[in-house]
Amino acid sequence: MKRFDYFLPQSLEEALELKKKIPNSRFIAGGTDLMVQIRGGELKPSALISLRSIPDLSSIEINGSIRIGAMTTVTDLIYNPDLEHQAKLLVDAARRVGSPQIRNVATVGGNLCNCSPCADLALSLLVLEAKARIQSLSGTQDVPLQKFFESPGKSCLSPDQILTDIFIEPVSSNTKSVFLKKGRVKMDLAVASVALLLEMEGEICRKARVAAGSVAPVPLRLQKVEVLLEGQALSPELADLAQRMASESVAPISDIRGTEEYRRQIVGVYVKRGLAQILGWGLV
Amino acid sequence: MTDFRFIGKRISRPDGPDKAAGKAHYIHDLKRPGMLFGKIKFSQHAFARIKHIDTSKAERIPGVKAVITAQNTPEIRIGFLRDNFALKKEKVRQYRDEVAAVAAIDPDIAEEAVEQIRVEYEIQPGIFSPDEALQKGAPLIHENDSRGRARTDNIVPIKFHHESGDLGAGRRSAKYMVEGEYSTPLVQQSCMGTAGCIAEFDMNRNLTLWAKTQIPFLAQRDFNRALSDMGLQDKNTRVIVPTLGGAFGTGLDTHTYEYITILLAFRTGHPVKILYSREEEFAYLSPRQSSQIRILQGCDSNGKLVFRKVEVLQDNGAYTSWGATYPSVMMLPATSLYRVPNVFFDARLVYTNNTYCQAMRGYGNPELTWALESNLDELAEEAGIDSYELRRLNCNLPGETTPMGLKISTCGLKESLESVVKKIEWKKKHKKGKNRGVGMASLIHVGGGARIYKSDASGIILKLDDFGNVYVYHGGVEMGQGLHAVLTTAVAEALGVRPEKVFINPTDTGTCPWDVGTHASRGTFMAGNATLLAADKLRTKIFELATDVYPREVKKSLEKYRKKNPGYQPPEIDFKKAARLENFDIKDGYLSIKDGPAEPWLNLELGRFLRAVHFRSQGQMLTAEAFYDPPNELPDFEKGYGNISATYVYGTQGVEVEVDTETGEVKILRLTAAHEVGKVLNPEGLKGQIYGALAQGIGYALYEELKTEKGRILNPNFKDYKIPTIQEMDFPIDLDFIEIADEFGPFGAKGIAEPGLVPTAPAIANAIYDAVGVRIRDLPITPEKVLAELKKLERR
Repeated sequence: MKRFDYFLPQSLEEALELKKKIPNSRFIAGGTDLMVQIRGGELKPSALISLRSIPDLSSIEINGSIRIGAMTTVTDLIYNPDLEHQAKLLVDAARRVGSPQIRNVATVGGNLCNCSPCADLALSLLVLEAKARIQSLSGTQDVPLQKFFESPGKSCLSPDQILTDIFIEPVSSNTKSVFLKKGRVKMDLAVASVALLLEMEGEICRKARVAAGSVAPVPLRLQKVEVLLEGQALSPELADLAQRMASESVAPISDIRGTEEYRRQIVGVYVKRGLAQILGWGLV
Repeated sequence: MTDFRFIGKRISRPDGPDKAAGKAHYIHDLKRPGMLFGKIKFSQHAFARIKHIDTSKAERIPGVKAVITAQNTPEIRIGFLRDNFALKKEKVRQYRDEVAAVAAIDPDIAEEAVEQIRVEYEIQPGIFSPDEALQKGAPLIHENDSRGRARTDNIVPIKFHHESGDLGAGRRSAKYMVEGEYSTPLVQQSCMGTAGCIAEFDMNRNLTLWAKTQIPFLAQRDFNRALSDMGLQDKNTRVIVPTLGGAFGTGLDTHTYEYITILLAFRTGHPVKILYSREEEFAYLSPRQSSQIRILQGCDSNGKLVFRKVEVLQDNGAYTSWGATYPSVMMLPATSLYRVPNVFFDARLVYTNNTYCQAMRGYGNPELTWALESNLDELAEEAGIDSYELRRLNCNLPGETTPMGLKISTCGLKESLESVVKKIEWKKKHKKGKNRGVGMASLIHVGGGARIYKSDASGIILKLDDFGNVYVYHGGVEMGQGLHAVLTTAVAEALGVRPEKVFINPTDTGTCPWDVGTHASRGTFMAGNATLLAADKLRTKIFELATDVYPREVKKSLEKYRKKNPGYQPPEIDFKKAARLENFDIKDGYLSIKDGPAEPWLNLELGRFLRAVHFRSQGQMLTAEAFYDPPNELPDFEKGYGNISATYVYGTQGVEVEVDTETGEVKILRLTAAHEVGKVLNPEGLKGQIYGALAQGIGYALYEELKTEKGRILNPNFKDYKIPTIQEMDFPIDLDFIEIADEFGPFGAKGIAEPGLVPTAPAIANAIYDAVGVRIRDLPITPEKVLAELKKLERR
């Protein structure tokens, strides 16, 4: 492993200044992805700038809308009782991230900035229509999460920007959600995964949000499926249609974790099962 | 012996607390003064001629103490066919071949230096499957054998063959027969503790090696030979085994990295450590060999097995280690699982440019049993017989000699089958459930050592101190399996002392007597038998001295007792009894005369006795040694005949699964494992062995596979090589230990280290077939494979 310098700035400004000053430096959050890349020789940064000591980056505030600091650990998501209540989908996804040891250090911001198509938190935040707050020395901007991911490993952040917070609007009381993930074993990166959120009015689906992981270069909203479901009375027949559409609207690759064909299959089945689970149909 | 004081009781592991507290010293923790860190440069080409190695840049890096290649070090040939080299000179034959190495003052500098070594190759097209290797005109992986004779093909020159009865006649008498081809993947042993060693020379040029080995004494022989190759004639290696974080067969051979560490230590004059990272362990250490197995077997109209033909083709990789001798164990189930009169077995091993392989738990048995027990279920289906009935009908029996010449002393196969059938509710569930099914598979394995070397023996020394403590010197290796707990229990039981008074010394060729190695499920069997012999000698020595010392000492005790208890009237004691050795006994660390009155002063504390023997004119200290060599034979593997083990174990596992027909996922609902063990020595340890083996067996069945592309391992990490975690073991497991005391076993016990993973995969495959009618013949049984077969079934 190449040697690198390590900085522990105490403020956002200091962090951004350091980043500007040191060529080939990287921000580090929990390090659960970054350090693997460094050890594997894929990344050779000259310096790591830790965001660990910056105040307010690792807090959760619920005050009408929900603010989650980018340095909040996955474990902190799981054990926040209010979050469990107001953004259950995020907590469900958090429970499926890595192992307890990884969850203790991995952060929300890291999970997003790593821009892996399989990121568990990204899927749930996509369907929760989260916004990412991005800060640079020149100011602050909010970006819908859907525009955050550009390609595997690449976010919309420029080198002089930091993801500081995630904002979620609370969901209405007739909203239900589900997170389904297929790994080769239970503790695994997703071979394929689905996050699904439905706002129901009686039989009618008022709003549907569907996202799938590990089936495209980025965590993917399945908007065609959403359109298919919205405004409709949900039936098993429609769920079958959604299954087919989900399978067809994704663009997975074959790799060591699974084949393209298998990923399409799982995404479809999980969309159908997600609907069944939310609507209490039992196993379809 | 049926009334045991400690055997069969719950005894805590002596090595447990230190391991749990992080105080045990693994190779990772060990440091020697002035120690350097070694790092190896691997070829990263599967087949190539080495044109030039430029080490100049690496040598100039500050902190680098040595850079070695085959050009500047003596040639060290390794492996039992001597077809491998510590460092490669002219050719590399596998992706992981060692071409150079560095010793530096810290691991980062060593790594940087390795990156700066430039090697020029002339790349050749490689061979990556046995079928390609067997084709006419295929390039030769090795042009010459170790003696320099020209080779003409890629077949590894070792033969495993067996024929018994009349195969043709057997076939003719068969009413039903089924042929199938089954395959198993490359699998990594996945030890928690990665590989590593420290080599250190003293000024007399003798070597001490701290090694992660299961065969300290055979390793000593190998390393001494290497010293001789290095020009250090008549120099010695002392092998010390630190705490091991699992071995599972990885320690059965000596490794290139060990020889490279020795070369670096000799070159620099410093102790040198090489420690593999997890990725190096995956990519550059030898895994379990893959195999292709073709089986044809048949039965008559009543379901009696009448013949069996087994052909094995194994990808040996580029060099030869013990992976090549899996067929020596494959022969056991092939010839001796169930009664089959006419058997043909043949195994061929082929060199390729894939990674070479080594031992792993079960050693060929999980592979062959996978094929055999899957095929047996297919035969049952063909014959229209319940597969449990087919197994029961052809059950082995105690006292029989199998076609391979195995002498079955005790046999619990019938009992294990019956146990599984009952516990898995076979009759209620077999062929009944929708997407749910039950399956079973049985096994035979060695349980009384395994003579694969001219000696299958194991020595032990018991040393007593002045305080009644017993120090045990034994060459067997504790690698996490619980050998030290068993040894402690056996010594305490056999000698008559408390387990807290027993101390097991580190395994060290400098202090411990010879042992062939801790493999083949032999640790408990060997250590137990050696203990019984040594304890008997020690007791005899004690009793001989007791004839004189005991009466004297207890009379002193009586005086003291009287002072403390005025008016005490002792009963009449017949001290003439003390003249005869057989009248003495030791119990819980106290020496006494058997069947005497229960007066406290008549119990002589062992420490006091030993001090009395020590601190007198012509005093003595007591030790005893024993060397146990089991009554078994070195088989003739070309004929496939010989009673390889003193005794054998049978067992059966049953499993209930649910198959998700949309995702192909197999969920295990419950598992029952009935294993014949002779006698339970340490119940917690035994459970641990079986639970662990089941997890490995489930990994083998459902998850584990090293994937390769042109000889390169594609998933050299736990991110992409999946082993079960506790979350996959989320179903009820019912263990049944069948105790039929064996005459050869210590306290009646047999070895049980490997059997737990042997029949797991076929039991699961058979259950999947029962659930959804899909037969998977190549491991692992991934959801993709199940789904693909389900789709084929739908189309039909």
